[in-house]
Amino acid sequence: MEILPILSALRRNKVGAVLIALQIALTLAIVCNALPVIQRHLERMRRPTGIDESNIFTLNNQWVGQPQDLRSRIKGDLATVRGSPGVIDAVETDSFPLHGGGSSAGLFLAPEQKFPTAHTAQYLVDEHGFATYGLKLEAGRWFTADEIGEMQPHDTKVPGSIVITRNLAHALFPSVSALGQMVYMDTRAAPSRIIGIVERAQTPWAGFSWAESFIENSTFMPYEFLYKGQYFVVRTRPGQMAGAMQAVQNRLFAQSHQRVIDDVQPFAESRKDTYAVPRATSVLLTVVCAVMLAVTILGVTGLTMYWVTQRRRQIGMRRALGARQRDVLRYFQVENLLIAGSGVAAGVVLGLIGNLWLARHLELARMGVGYICAGGAIVLVFSQAAVLWPALRAARVPPAAAIRAL
Amino acid sequence: MLKMIHLSKVYRTEVVETYALRDFSIHVKEGEFVAVTGPSGSGKTTFLTIAGLLEEFTGGQYQLDGADVHGLNDNQRSRLRNQKIGFIFQSFNLIPDLNVFDNVDVPLRYRRLPGAERRKRINESLERVGLSARAKHYPAELSGGQQQRVAIARALAGSPRLLLADEPTGNLDSQMARGVMQLLEELHRDGATIVMVTHDPELAARAQREVRIVDGQVIDLAAQTRLVGEPQPRPGV
Amino acid sequence: MMGYYIRLAIRGLRRNVALTALMIVAVGVGIGASMTMLTTLRAMSADPIPDKDSKLFVPQIDTWGPDSRHGEQDDRLQDQLSYGDAMALMRAHRGARQTAMYAVSMDVSPEGAAAGTATSAKPFQASGRAAYNDFFSMFEVPFRSGGPWGAVDDEHGANVVVLSGRLADRVFPGTDAVGKTISLDGRDYRVVGVLKPWSPLPHYYDLTQSAFTAMEDFYLPFAMAIDRHLESYGNNNCRAAPSPGWEGRLNSDCVWLQFWVELPGAAAARDYRAFLANYAAQQRLSGRFHWTDRVELHDVREWMVQNKVVSDEVKVNTMIGAGVLAVCLINAIGLMLAKLASRAADLGIRRALGGSRRDIFLQCMSETAVVGLLGGVLGLVLTAVGLAANRALLAPVAKHISLDSLTRLDTGMVGITLAVAIFSTLCAGLYPTWRATSVQPAWQLKAG
Repeated sequence: MEILPILSALRRNKVGAVLIALQIALTLAIVCNALPVIQRHLERMRRPTGIDESNIFTLNNQWVGQPQDLRSRIKGDLATVRGSPGVIDAVETDSFPLHGGGSSAGLFLAPEQKFPTAHTAQYLVDEHGFATYGLKLEAGRWFTADEIGEMQPHDTKVPGSIVITRNLAHALFPSVSALGQMVYMDTRAAPSRIIGIVERAQTPWAGFSWAESFIENSTFMPYEFLYKGQYFVVRTRPGQMAGAMQAVQNRLFAQSHQRVIDDVQPFAESRKDTYAVPRATSVLLTVVCAVMLAVTILGVTGLTMYWVTQRRRQIGMRRALGARQRDVLRYFQVENLLIAGSGVAAGVVLGLIGNLWLARHLELARMGVGYICAGGAIVLVFSQAAVLWPALRAARVPPAAAIRAL
Repeated sequence: MLKMIHLSKVYRTEVVETYALRDFSIHVKEGEFVAVTGPSGSGKTTFLTIAGLLEEFTGGQYQLDGADVHGLNDNQRSRLRNQKIGFIFQSFNLIPDLNVFDNVDVPLRYRRLPGAERRKRINESLERVGLSARAKHYPAELSGGQQQRVAIARALAGSPRLLLADEPTGNLDSQMARGVMQLLEELHRDGATIVMVTHDPELAARAQREVRIVDGQVIDLAAQTRLVGEPQPRPGV
Repeated sequence: MMGYYIRLAIRGLRRNVALTALMIVAVGVGIGASMTMLTTLRAMSADPIPDKDSKLFVPQIDTWGPDSRHGEQDDRLQDQLSYGDAMALMRAHRGARQTAMYAVSMDVSPEGAAAGTATSAKPFQASGRAAYNDFFSMFEVPFRSGGPWGAVDDEHGANVVVLSGRLADRVFPGTDAVGKTISLDGRDYRVVGVLKPWSPLPHYYDLTQSAFTAMEDFYLPFAMAIDRHLESYGNNNCRAAPSPGWEGRLNSDCVWLQFWVELPGAAAARDYRAFLANYAAQQRLSGRFHWTDRVELHDVREWMVQNKVVSDEVKVNTMIGAGVLAVCLINAIGLMLAKLASRAADLGIRRALGGSRRDIFLQCMSETAVVGLLGGVLGLVLTAVGLAANRALLAPVAKHISLDSLTRLDTGMVGITLAVAIFSTLCAGLYPTWRATSVQPAWQLKAG
């Protein structure tokens, strides 16, 4: 096809072509940079916590006043909850994955070490914790009933045994098995022995950027949480959660009225709460990108339509000189290809620059050049589709339009 | 009223120089009805556009109603155009979006006249051309002759010193053409100065005198009144 | 004259509805997208206390030394103070006003109801804040009735409490709670004040938890909370394990208290910084600190920047919003070019009839302004939709705090939106209009 004549005709009519190319370039650049942001959000939101999320619900229990017999109350509650219909198992604790709050600590390999080797979240559990969370054991074992102690808030005890996640094990002991090793939670106290390694358990702070570096590092400590307020993590049989949630509440109240129970929610709700903001951002960005693409495509159609009207005479002239309908169609498609093509090229460059900037400032993974080029190809296809209708209209201009206004 | 002395208009491209008007002189006195004729491409339209201050000229002098138009900026030319000249075009050139009343209104708006004054003038003009009844109609609803008469009303509304007409009957059939010419003659009788460009010798004959242009220059005609004996023109602008 | 132009503009726009609609949609969509993002940015970065943001300060002390920051990405001091340091600062009283504070949580037992009888009278948990009475004047907390507790109650830690409007309405519906008694954690407290709705977003005076932490519902004298051994429900950081018990905690170097001081001017700030440096030096000389003295004092704005309240992501979102606006405006330029080119004859006639370039310019810009206004209105609607969608998506967060500033279009934003719409459309219209005015009138007529 005669590309050069088309190009020189365009050069005389620079402005419109530049506008289209500019729009396409900007749209591509922006979409190329919004996508990695969206992708990162989606990736993060998809990560599994490592627990049996679909069958777990949590609730918060607060005893009214300052009861003195917490130990027996908590024991009674646990028995009640574990015995409720539909319940597989339960623990009471201070925090759980995605909860948003909890304790964290640094772990040292030797008492004279100045800086911790790794950071970890700390979860208080008893011997029922394994079955309650539905964890997967990779090595070693879980705690037994006689290993469980008691922990009050701000107690500074150190456990004799701990169970850690695989990620933490690798962070602490990259070349040997962590099983049986000793680590220090407090360099001035006795070390703890790693008696078990589970596959996965996220920290409470998924979704917080400051906690990203140790999000898969969790340590389970064998303590009953002795406080007037605690969370119950309850695992139910599949399909029986709704009933179990109600039954547990009823039975706990039947046991004693001197309490406040709230925040009863399935784990899916906790997940939604935790990721509400990134989810909202992703949706917003996606909609904005789609809208921008739509506007650009409409703009291409509109402007090309206008050009067709402007050049009616010229088109008629070409037809009078022997061009077929197909030739006219091809002319406009090629013209658009040239314009959109240069726009895409500029957009790829802009997109790459933006990507570099984002990678430096937001620590986003760089979007592969392949991705960006694929994006460019898609935009090109859209652009050609957008120009189809005006081009068809142009093809239908009768040759007589060269002479008369038709 | 309209005095051009050794006027020239050159179109220059990279390769060639085209003289649309060359050493062109003309003097139209107040109250005259002059026809400017010539074959296609002779430069009559160029003369008209320069006379109407729509284009700049390359050399010579142009005095409109006693004032030299040399060195005026766009704003000043627009004002002069608005106040002194009324245009009548071959293709009427009415604004299709506006009705008759609003069309006649356009030049008055640019003169910043108050509403009451404008309305008075518009109604008078429409009365003069016999179209008062059509004030609310749109150009598309009028015949060619009526549209041209609206254009004339528009040209008159501002009480111009000079009427410039470019083939005023070119797009009209013979009956409507007659009507328009009659109107022009009436206006002339009432004291208007009219310069009409046409290629139709019959039309030209109805004017007071005829100036013929060929290849951008005036051809001496028997009917041409005395040539201008003016001081030497200033060097080219 | 402008009225004439506006009328012409409206008529001209009506003539080619499709093109006009496209232009309005282009502008509207661009405005809608960018304003939605901008509202978010504004909500997160809005100065929470503009008339005092340079008078409220957070003092920071290097409680644990540079070793504690090993491996951290930034070299920031702890955001909070230990009990000992906070009390030392309070006692020195170098600020015009000052408060140490921390988040607490207590059970509320509605008055006169046996717990567990009626649903509405069941006890429930509420979050609160232990603070000194200066807190209320420092942060300009608005009162619906009553006021802060007095100096005596503050010093001795009396059983008084200030309630949020929400809590007061829940426990004492229909009456003024001031003077009434409320039972918290099994003890009676006298209500001395009830607040108007107050939910600063972000929660700038305590950023140690997430930016979306629940707003507190009651306020108690700090001294009383310490007396009662009320646990901190906020952030608590210890470098070394403290001695056991409450006393151990108070004597430890665990940091768990927020501290704010009000200083009337730059000179006072300088003095306070000097005082802090002196204090740190004393700690070093007494053997408690073994590192170079380091103290910091930041006002509200610096504090929010340091804590990255406006996260990078919000900034990126805003830039994307601006990019969308740019694309939409470029689109509008193309459409306007098309529109004006088809009116070339029209404008040529006007030039011939005496319109100067300036007249044509004003006429075209009027048309542009009308498009901008209509586009702005559409943009407003779309922004409202966008914000409503945002609010719906953030529903889980809205459980805890009021998201009004984030998702509501106040009159200020409406004005800004329309202004931005008109201004940006006018800018976009500059080139097409310039093109339209610079065409020689003669050319049009020759072609006609």
